[in-house]
Amino acid sequence: MKRVDLVRKLRREAAVTPAALDRGKAVLMAAIRQEVQPMRRPTIVPRLPYEDVGAALSFLERAFGFREVSAARGVRADGAIDHTMVEFGDGMIGLGAQGAHGAFSPKRAGTATQYITVHVDDIDAHHQRAVASGAEIVSRLHDHLRDYRVYEALDLEGHRWRFLQWLREVPQSERH
Amino acid sequence: MSSPPDAEVIGRSLDDPEAFGVIYDRHAAALLRFLGRRVGAGVGEGLVGELFRIAFEQRKTFDVSRASALPWLYGIGSNLLLNHRRGEARRLRASARMAAAHDAADKRAGAAALDARLLFPRVADAIEALPDEERSALLLFAWEDLSYQSVAEALELPIGTVRSRLNRARAHLRELLEPDGKRRVRSR
Repeated sequence: MKRVDLVRKLRREAAVTPAALDRGKAVLMAAIRQEVQPMRRPTIVPRLPYEDVGAALSFLERAFGFREVSAARGVRADGAIDHTMVEFGDGMIGLGAQGAHGAFSPKRAGTATQYITVHVDDIDAHHQRAVASGAEIVSRLHDHLRDYRVYEALDLEGHRWRFLQWLREVPQSERH
Repeated sequence: MSSPPDAEVIGRSLDDPEAFGVIYDRHAAALLRFLGRRVGAGVGEGLVGELFRIAFEQRKTFDVSRASALPWLYGIGSNLLLNHRRGEARRLRASARMAAAHDAADKRAGAAALDARLLFPRVADAIEALPDEERSALLLFAWEDLSYQSVAEALELPIGTVRSRLNRARAHLRELLEPDGKRRVRSR
């Protein structure tokens, strides 16, 4: 028997699982994103803990129009998103697995302990989108004096968000 | 419409990095199998993403006169595997045990099968003992069925060098398998 044929006989098939292919692709795509968009680093970045970061991300994108900073995405061995960041206008917020830094999702803690104010350009359209996406409205859309229009909503794990649009520039003397 | 060749996709990815994802979709399964054969599925799975990350970062160096990126990717994979010699040796010995058991069980193989238990571990040791550059060339040729031309592209060597390297690998195997084989070494 020829030597190369002997070598050939030691060839073994290796299984290819779709999950393994997906994990490999996630590594590549992270490298690609790194090149496409070098990450912005605002001075202060609040981070919100979630039980299911992946579900939270898609909800925040769908309901509130946030956009993932995909270069920030960290994926666990099982393919689930461990942490990532979203941006909206010039603001940025981190999403992370609860418990990792001693903070817990309101879903587990039973209460929200903070709320985040987000300025939007078209509050009515924003409100409509949030409602259509199933966000729980906890403070209805209304005008506050004649200064701004505002509503508050809970996301799918109970974090509280306050969206508002200024209606006019309020002079210093009139500010409360 | 036929899909654009790899060279075109990689060319496009210089300005549009995300286009490189297509290269992954086309070739990742083949490379994953290649890595799995060499170091086992578990380690191979950990390496395939790394392999394509390196390819992405080195995509400017891809020779666009080559239509397929596959040999180039095999070359990157072969380099990566050099850091996994121990895992590869383990895998090879396990393959030898399996091949030997398989051949010994094959009644039709007759008397030759009796030698299988002895022969395959020696083949494994012989492959393991080859210099890195000969082992890389030999396994791309024998296990991945790459042509001389593709092996040359993978290892960035002239085709003549690939030929002589494969000949040397064969000669080495012969020496390692037959203590008296040295006398019979000849070039093909």
